Amino acid sequence: MAAMEIDTESNLQRKQSVYQLMDEGFEIQKEMYRGQQYSQIYFARLHLMRTLLYSLLPNWKPQLPVCTVLGLEKGKECIIVGTLFKHMKLKPRVLDEYSKEKSAAPLVKPHNFVHQDDHLVLEDESGRVKLRGNVLLPSVYVTGIVVALHGKETDAGDFWVEDILESGLPDQIELPLKSGDDKYVVFVSGLNVGSSVSNPLQFQLLVDHITGHLGDEKEQSIAAQIVQVVIAGNSVEIPHGLLNGQNLASKDQSKMSEPIKELDILLTQIAAGVPLDIMPGPNDPANFSLPQQPLHRCLFPGSSTYNTFKSCTNPHFFELDNVRFLGTSGQNIDDLDKYSEAKDKLEFMERTLRWRHIAPTAPNTLGCYPFTDRDPFFIERCPHVYFVGNQDKYETRLMKGSEGQVVRLICIPRFGETGIAVVLNMRNLECHALSFGTQFSS
Amino acid sequence: MNSKKRPLPQNHQPPLQQKHHASMAEEEDLDEDVFLDETLYEEESQVLRDMEERESLASRLAKWKRPALSQPYMSQSQGVVFQQLEIDYVIGESHKELLPKSSGQAAIIRIFGVTREGHSVCCHVHGFEPYFYISCPPGMGPDDISHFHQILEERMREVNRNSKVPKLVRRVEMVHRRSIMYYQQLGSQPFLKLVVALPTMVTSCRGILDRGIQIDGLGMKSFITYESNVLFALRFMIDCNVVGGNWIEVPVGKYKKSAKNLSYCQLEFDCLYSDLISHAPEGEFSKIAPFRILSFDIECAGRKGLFPEPTHDPVIQVANLVTLQGQDQPFVRNVMTLKSCSPIVGVDVMSFDTEREVLLAWRDFIREVDPDIIIGYNICKFDLPYLIQRAEALGIPEFPMLGRVRNSRVRVKDTTFSSRQYGTRESKEVTVEGRVQFDLLQVMQRDYKLSSYSLNSVSAHFLNEQKEDVHHSIISDLQNGNPETRRRLAVYCLKDAYLPQRLLDKLMFIYNYVEMARVTGVPISFLLSRGQSIKVLSQLLRKARQKNLVIPNVKQAGSEQGTYEGATVLEARAGFYEKPIATLDFASLYPSIMMAYNLCYCTLVTPEDVRKLNLLPECINKTPSGETFVKSNLQKGILPEILEELLAARKRAKADLKEAKDPLVKAVLDGRQLALKISANSVYGFTGATVGQLPCLEISSSVTSYGRQMIEHTKKLVEEKFTTVGGYEHNAEVVYGDTDSVMVQFGVPTVEAAMNLGREAADYISGTFINPIKLEFEKVYYPYLLISKKRYAGLLWTKPDKFDKMDTKGIETVRRDNCLLVKNLVTECLHKLLIDRDIPGAVQYVKNTISDLLMNRMDLSLLVITKGLTKTGDDYEVKAAHVELAERMRKRDAATAPNVGDRVPYVIIKAAKGAKAYERSEDPIYVLENNIPIDPQYYLENQISKPLLRIFEPILKNASKELLQGSHTRSISISTPSNSGIMKFAKKQLSCIGCKALISNSDRTLCSHCKGREAELYCKTVVNVSELEKLFGRLWTQCQECQGSLHQDVLCTSRDCPIFYRRKKAQKDMAEAKLQLDRWNF
Repeated sequence: MAAMEIDTESNLQRKQSVYQLMDEGFEIQKEMYRGQQYSQIYFARLHLMRTLLYSLLPNWKPQLPVCTVLGLEKGKECIIVGTLFKHMKLKPRVLDEYSKEKSAAPLVKPHNFVHQDDHLVLEDESGRVKLRGNVLLPSVYVTGIVVALHGKETDAGDFWVEDILESGLPDQIELPLKSGDDKYVVFVSGLNVGSSVSNPLQFQLLVDHITGHLGDEKEQSIAAQIVQVVIAGNSVEIPHGLLNGQNLASKDQSKMSEPIKELDILLTQIAAGVPLDIMPGPNDPANFSLPQQPLHRCLFPGSSTYNTFKSCTNPHFFELDNVRFLGTSGQNIDDLDKYSEAKDKLEFMERTLRWRHIAPTAPNTLGCYPFTDRDPFFIERCPHVYFVGNQDKYETRLMKGSEGQVVRLICIPRFGETGIAVVLNMRNLECHALSFGTQFSS
Repeated sequence: MNSKKRPLPQNHQPPLQQKHHASMAEEEDLDEDVFLDETLYEEESQVLRDMEERESLASRLAKWKRPALSQPYMSQSQGVVFQQLEIDYVIGESHKELLPKSSGQAAIIRIFGVTREGHSVCCHVHGFEPYFYISCPPGMGPDDISHFHQILEERMREVNRNSKVPKLVRRVEMVHRRSIMYYQQLGSQPFLKLVVALPTMVTSCRGILDRGIQIDGLGMKSFITYESNVLFALRFMIDCNVVGGNWIEVPVGKYKKSAKNLSYCQLEFDCLYSDLISHAPEGEFSKIAPFRILSFDIECAGRKGLFPEPTHDPVIQVANLVTLQGQDQPFVRNVMTLKSCSPIVGVDVMSFDTEREVLLAWRDFIREVDPDIIIGYNICKFDLPYLIQRAEALGIPEFPMLGRVRNSRVRVKDTTFSSRQYGTRESKEVTVEGRVQFDLLQVMQRDYKLSSYSLNSVSAHFLNEQKEDVHHSIISDLQNGNPETRRRLAVYCLKDAYLPQRLLDKLMFIYNYVEMARVTGVPISFLLSRGQSIKVLSQLLRKARQKNLVIPNVKQAGSEQGTYEGATVLEARAGFYEKPIATLDFASLYPSIMMAYNLCYCTLVTPEDVRKLNLLPECINKTPSGETFVKSNLQKGILPEILEELLAARKRAKADLKEAKDPLVKAVLDGRQLALKISANSVYGFTGATVGQLPCLEISSSVTSYGRQMIEHTKKLVEEKFTTVGGYEHNAEVVYGDTDSVMVQFGVPTVEAAMNLGREAADYISGTFINPIKLEFEKVYYPYLLISKKRYAGLLWTKPDKFDKMDTKGIETVRRDNCLLVKNLVTECLHKLLIDRDIPGAVQYVKNTISDLLMNRMDLSLLVITKGLTKTGDDYEVKAAHVELAERMRKRDAATAPNVGDRVPYVIIKAAKGAKAYERSEDPIYVLENNIPIDPQYYLENQISKPLLRIFEPILKNASKELLQGSHTRSISISTPSNSGIMKFAKKQLSCIGCKALISNSDRTLCSHCKGREAELYCKTVVNVSELEKLFGRLWTQCQECQGSLHQDVLCTSRDCPIFYRRKKAQKDMAEAKLQLDRWNF
């Protein structure tokens, strides 16, 4: 009690905001594996997005007829709508495991599977056609996107593409009036508690900063304006080698549960003061396929007792004071990075918004639940903030849509390696990095 | 002996289909005359289809016609140069203008081919007559000959009563020839050349002479005939210097356009055989004409549970692709369907209401497109006979006119092909006149040893591509659906038609087979329908003709002559050699021996002559097997001469290959050098084939005896010279020797040192042999695992810095009756032992695998054993696992049960004690669906233990104890069968996920003891789910990719595909794991 006296005169009140969770689409509850295949999600996607694209055609090229792949006639200009499929020479296949000769040299796993011989085809229910032309670059596009193409069939039976129409950004609700106060949202990802590379002190500093236990009064007053913390995946690293089905020796049991306990303790500290959303990532003890389901509450016996603690899906969609947030733990962008090319990660993010689809490569190269009647990755509502976790470095940019939409794009770096968290001001969507160092330098 | 007579055809009333049940052994090649008018079908009586419909179809087909003839061709003002593909003969009236002197029936040679511009050619060659020789009895004068001619003519008349030929034996001429058999000091002897009217008469005449004929003054005398077993078409080729697939020129003015076109070819003409110019396949004439290659596949709607039969089941689709030789894309893609079918991009879909229309459309298509070569997978045994028999069942007599000859029906006959090398195979022979059939299945079976010959596994092997497989039980369902489902089927059918073409391109079959035909001089069609020996015989006959030699028709001696001692194999000193082993190889050992020692039919001296002739010792070679051959200064053998030419030609081809830039030229040259190599090596086999055309065991046993001597000699020299006494660092040791190679451990530690010594040894030892026998040093094995005779593995080095590959022989990496687990295990172990040099790692790997197997963690697809069902259960004498299973499956569901001809995959399951292995086989799908436990002990004992022990015994002391017993074999998990009898009485209760204790409260996941380990246990469950999800995604998207569609469900049930069971299992495991995970959501 005595210690509290020091703070009494400057007792700061933490700001608050109205939170609304909008993850329904990403939840898998009643759905089961009943032998369904992936064709259904493609089918649902095609139907959904084709209807959308058809509605855009009158404003694009109203004079052109619309065809199916089958209805193509040689030399006749028209528009076709369908799902893209990219033939890739270097794409790793599960069948390679069975290839007759095991090469003596170890297989080099390339980071990127793009090859100059890659080509695109467009598929609808009626068939496939090979795409050619200089407009549609195979290195940019990936399997799974639905687009409208203007062009004509060549003598060789291919489709010569003249122009492309993508779905574009959906409509955006207006940002709340700018008169509001500064309110901050902290994004962090790749905490990797329990990993050899992560520094426990760094995370503690972050927690202390958020909870206002760090720095002078000014700094604390900024901390008081933090209204939400979002952890975008890979919070904990559990040794996978231990989970091979054998019963664990008690020594190993603790080895496994230790990092989770440690995480829980730190999260409890945050949750005690600030609302906290935690999303699962590729290395977390969660399922693999997108959408990843919330981390189980039994992993967080401490923090889960606070009502400020929310375990969410990945992807995650929520609203704070009418500002809309959409984010993933990074798998969607990392997969695009393997199967296509861009100058930076933000460009991949822009593309997914323009394609109106967070994860086009699911299910082709990105694990995904075999939905039967819907495609939850279709972006129905335009977010104001779009974040992606577990990236190499912090990057951000403001993207503007054709209808005046404004979206803040954020790549959140891996905290465990960089010591960087990202802070966003909801008032003006401005964004800066928060860096923690634990080296004592003179 | 060959007095088999064909019933003469009743004229004017030809049977609808001729079926000859001639059981022909390979070596018993009989000529069979085809009468031109016999198979003619009167066009007038042909039931024409609705004219309008025909026209619309015709216009669709017309765009695929061959290029139109240019003016010089039309006006016959230029010579015709074409590459011939097929040569046969027919019996017709002899040509009045070309051969004014003769009349009546004669054999007309027909040559089909293609010009450089892509025009089809049919060339009728007149004036060539069938003949053979007999040796002339001593003292026969011209009068005796004409008398003999008379007697023979009379005897022939008796046999060929119905023949309309005025003179059966046209001429008997005295010629001077020499028999190829045995060394003879005399230059030549009188022979009689008997020229007969028709090719079949050669056989009947031979029969008469074989049995003996009464000649005045000489009494009853039988004759040995010479060259009476040469097929007429081949005889023509030999005498005119025509080799298979070469270019033939008919100069302008030397040919006459046929008065009435008998064929559908663009250029059809008659000429005399003496006017043909046959071009050797060199330079410009080594090219390959733009043949039209048709690849097709049919689908039939079978009844449930039965394999399609032409008498019942309709042909519902035919897919066709036509490619011009030398181009990489087909220029025609179409599919003909019964009932409507939705369009397919890039494919001409033609739908018809009746089967009759489908079949006739296909016939019209063949006629318009006019393919030179017809390819497909199993077309000779299935597709073509099925179409023809189906047309017969439907009563469409005008269908089987698929050949190039107008109004001539395609004939089907059953043949049995048996050859020492390829075994006995029953097949149907469908003769499509003028078009070469090239069944990729037959080619694969001939040229490659594979674990399975299904189109799927063949394409997986060569194209690295899995093929979608639609089970025949759902083909009918797809057909009876709507245009969309039929489209689905059509896409599948097209793919099946495309794969043979891709295999043909990828494996360069056209180049290799054309070159083989050119090198050996036989028509291309012989290469597939006949064995090896005809190829050697053709070369022998050509060479003999140059030398005035004739080849006797030896009576088939069968195996009476017994066998001879085969190649030698030095004792293998089994072990794991961690020092480099140099391999010394004899380059083309057997051909070299034959050349070096002048081994031939005509240099062999009979034991009798050895005594009589008093040959000087320096003029003869006595072989280690005790035969005597003269040296080349007395008589050069023709086999050595053939071999020399083949090897010289190969050297030339290889040199040209290095120079060549154009990929097509390269392909030709590479095909040629390969053909030359194979041909050189088959000469030895020809002399040893006891049921062959001209067996001569004296030659073959001499060859192997020399071979043995050389291997022994090499071993002796190596071990004598390379010793510490001789100044070398180590004593060399020969660890193993095979037919034509010797493995030496020089004792040096580095590959480079071993290579230097290897080269030295090869040069040194080669110097002790007669030219051209040469010992070559090519490779080093390091390390080398020698298991036993003909079984070894090692890393192969040809350069000192890096090994080339892992080389294995006789080890279970490709046995077909093993499960995949064995192959994977063996490959992985060898990899660890040889490449990683990690013996403990390999042992650990084996232990882990065994433990996984016993703990039931093994991927089921690795345990599937597959066997072909060749006949029904009753026909098998011994009960076999796959046959029993097929029976049981038939009882369960006849629709999906395997039929004869299918491959039956099975796994061995746990069953009552004492049950026989064949009772424990089960369908893998059924096992998956019903959670039936497999029997790990069976796999351990009967599948993996032997191959493993073989590998590890040279390496470990107590291999069996170390690997197959121990702690890793102790924990055994037995999954509970879900539907066995006793389980019906069992009550299901939830148990704690942590400790399997029963929990009463069904809302909970864990018992009170395990509550504290909640996080850990949850992690375990969720990690399991996550792994399965990963797998599920990869497997199912792979299958989508393979079927080539994102929006349609995967239908494939290819059991040859390695991921088929995994995919099924992933689906089922996923559902279970998800349920398990859901239990946590209390």
